[in-house]
Amino acid sequence: MTELVLQALYSGLLQGGSYALIALGLALVFGAMKVINLAHGELVLLSAYVAYSVESGLGWNPIFAIPIALVVVCLSSVMVYFVVGRIKKDREINSLILTYGIGVILTNLILLIWKADVRSTGSTWMQEAIVVGPFYSMRSEVLFFVVSLVMMGGLWWWLSRSWYGRAVRAVSSNRDAAKLMGIDPGYTELVSFVVAGILAAVAGVALFSYGVVSPAYGSVLTVKAFIITVLAGIGSIPGVLIGAVLLGVAEALTVTLASSALQELVGMGLFLLVLFVMPSGLFGAKGRRG
Amino acid sequence: MKPNKTIIVMLLAVYIAVPLAFGRDNYVMSLVVASMVIGGIALSWALLGNLGGMVSFGHAAFFGVGAYASAILSMKFGVPVLVSILLGGVGAVVASLAMLPVLRLRGPYFALAILAYAHIFRILATQWTSVTGGSGGLSNIPRLPEIFGYDLSSKTGGYLVILTIVLVFAAIYQYIRCSNYGLALRAMHESEDATRVVGVNSTLLKGLMLLVSAFMCGVVGAFNAHYINFLEPDYAFSGLWVTIPIVAAIFGGYRTITGPIVGAVVVYLVDQLVFKSIIPSGHQLVLGVLLVAMIIFSPDGLLSLLRKLTRRAHVAA
Amino acid sequence: MLQLKNISVRFGGLTAVNNVTLAVGTQDVVGLVGPNGAGKTTLFNAISGLVRPTSGQITFDGADVMRAPMYKRARMGIGRTFQVPQPMHELTVRQNLTVAQRFGTGSVDQNKIDEILEFTSLAEKATRNAATELALTELKALEVAKALATNPKLLLLDEVFAGLETTGKRHFMSMLKNLHEKFSVGIIIIEHDIETISNLCQRVAVLNFGELIAEGTPEEVFRDPAVIKSYTGGGHA
Repeated sequence: MTELVLQALYSGLLQGGSYALIALGLALVFGAMKVINLAHGELVLLSAYVAYSVESGLGWNPIFAIPIALVVVCLSSVMVYFVVGRIKKDREINSLILTYGIGVILTNLILLIWKADVRSTGSTWMQEAIVVGPFYSMRSEVLFFVVSLVMMGGLWWWLSRSWYGRAVRAVSSNRDAAKLMGIDPGYTELVSFVVAGILAAVAGVALFSYGVVSPAYGSVLTVKAFIITVLAGIGSIPGVLIGAVLLGVAEALTVTLASSALQELVGMGLFLLVLFVMPSGLFGAKGRRG
Repeated sequence: MKPNKTIIVMLLAVYIAVPLAFGRDNYVMSLVVASMVIGGIALSWALLGNLGGMVSFGHAAFFGVGAYASAILSMKFGVPVLVSILLGGVGAVVASLAMLPVLRLRGPYFALAILAYAHIFRILATQWTSVTGGSGGLSNIPRLPEIFGYDLSSKTGGYLVILTIVLVFAAIYQYIRCSNYGLALRAMHESEDATRVVGVNSTLLKGLMLLVSAFMCGVVGAFNAHYINFLEPDYAFSGLWVTIPIVAAIFGGYRTITGPIVGAVVVYLVDQLVFKSIIPSGHQLVLGVLLVAMIIFSPDGLLSLLRKLTRRAHVAA
Repeated sequence: MLQLKNISVRFGGLTAVNNVTLAVGTQDVVGLVGPNGAGKTTLFNAISGLVRPTSGQITFDGADVMRAPMYKRARMGIGRTFQVPQPMHELTVRQNLTVAQRFGTGSVDQNKIDEILEFTSLAEKATRNAATELALTELKALEVAKALATNPKLLLLDEVFAGLETTGKRHFMSMLKNLHEKFSVGIIIIEHDIETISNLCQRVAVLNFGELIAEGTPEEVFRDPAVIKSYTGGGHA
């Protein structure tokens, strides 16, 4: 029994890596533009399907799909940016509806192009079992967990050391002050969408490599990313990773101990729990009102 | 609202002329009924947005809960259909009570939280097999009854029922909007503190709007269940009950009361008659494009855009 | 009527209000003065319910209101104006007062509203959009009118004179002088101008760095060396 639980913890941990990438992409755009991209999950899904096409069409290992996915997803992400930029008023609300509409478009495009069947990788290299201590996992899980850690490290470095990264942080915290410093918010918004696209692309290939995808999964991903940002609270990359791992572990435990159908439910349950008990998240800044 | 000639004529038209003209054609009537169902959801969605100031992507939750509640009450507890429809609305209200804590979240967070709730209810409906029939769903849900010898379960009968439901809800919406509560709600959008400092319990008012919206949507969902006599989780909580009403409300102009209803009829009929025949699977794509286009070019709805264009034409002429 | 006992308001490491005890009766017009940042508006926020004090006790009409939310305090009779006017958006001036009266007292009396409009010289602007069609003087008058519409027993006026030019100031002076009698309401007024305060108030309380450093008649208080020091610099670090 304990081995099962420990195995679930391990699998959940590995899954948390990709979840964190997805959540970070969502949070980055929200920070820079105060816009929640409801189509973000669909961007991840798009990347997963690109990986599928690369594998089934060209016979390559999904890893090689990453460059192609990067291009496709970043382009799409930038297109979303431009469309959102065309909103004239009430940006907070209208961008929600707009990105929701884009999500619908993407989901249906995916449905049209790739049909409704569930897909997952056929690559034996990806699926090969790797044993670490007493724990089993697919090679793809371990591989992409490491990749996501590397990317998160890179993101952290970028946000704290590079000029563009710091500009994004400046615009997130005080837009007008940033403008006064000579930072063009429009440019940093674009940058944030591109970076979010990069994160989404990698996460999508990861997802395809060790999980299953179907056209409807896009909105589920967006909701999961959102749950993680609520769990983590605002303003903390390590917080997002921990929140993501928490979700991954909770899901894995549910699948092991209960049933796989309840897997989604546990994420929602966690979400509600945090909302009621700790509204500012596990690591977020506290609110001020009495 | 004082009754005036236009309203009376319109009422006559929808209550009498439509059934007379299309009553024989079952296909057309079923389209009309479905579009009215969408209209009801669109109305409740717009009410929450306009009065409550909250955009929701989870109205499918209320629709589905209302449907299941009513179906179960009438099937397992023998509640008469018309009563169970109302109770279905109450069921949706109970579901919305669980959503009250997320009211204090800001716009985008609220919208997503509601979406999460919708997912939860769908999963519950799929898993709670003993009560909801699980993924197989419920069939042979009791039909609408006969009243004074008139069979409400016929296509025309169903039409009259949903028409009445939607009109009553529109009247309620109008009543709230014109009342002092409506004034306070409007002010709350951008100046909530200013209202609180003069004694407005803004949290309560927002919560009440959520409950009202949930009730309306739940009743519509319940009606639909008894109209098609079949229910299953993926249908009851489908994203279509979210997307189409939103497109409809925005298309018709979500700031008005008639906008969502008119928008629903137009959008749904066009979707079913035109889009579906062009792209049978994935015709929602066009809806998505329509939504995006409208937000960018005319967020107040196509009807208001048309009005603006005709005004400009008059001025030019 | 209003009893503040040992009220302290702390925001993280910053103590905005430190151990303030103050009593205001239904007949009082009390001035609240002090240099900028002394905690005057924060004290108002604590009384009206926008902010919860970290410690202390607030009693209004004998009832403990520490945990009462802002809207409840308004209904109990605590009216308040904001330093930066906050009209209710999307509504006309009259609608602003209607909402204030309806939710502050429970019923609507358009005659009373007309009276208030007349008193605050807003009668001609009654149908204007409150947020977009009023000048600063009128916005400030609306702040007072809104508060009056809730039939308050205590009125908290936060720097109503700030930003007004001479005519506006004179107009408000005469309005405030009559306010106390016409609407039989106790008043606490935050103001910087010493002459205004001396003219309007029987009693003055002085805050500096969140602490109450003096309380008495205007003459006593403005001759108090500690008060003078707080205005001319010197205070403690």
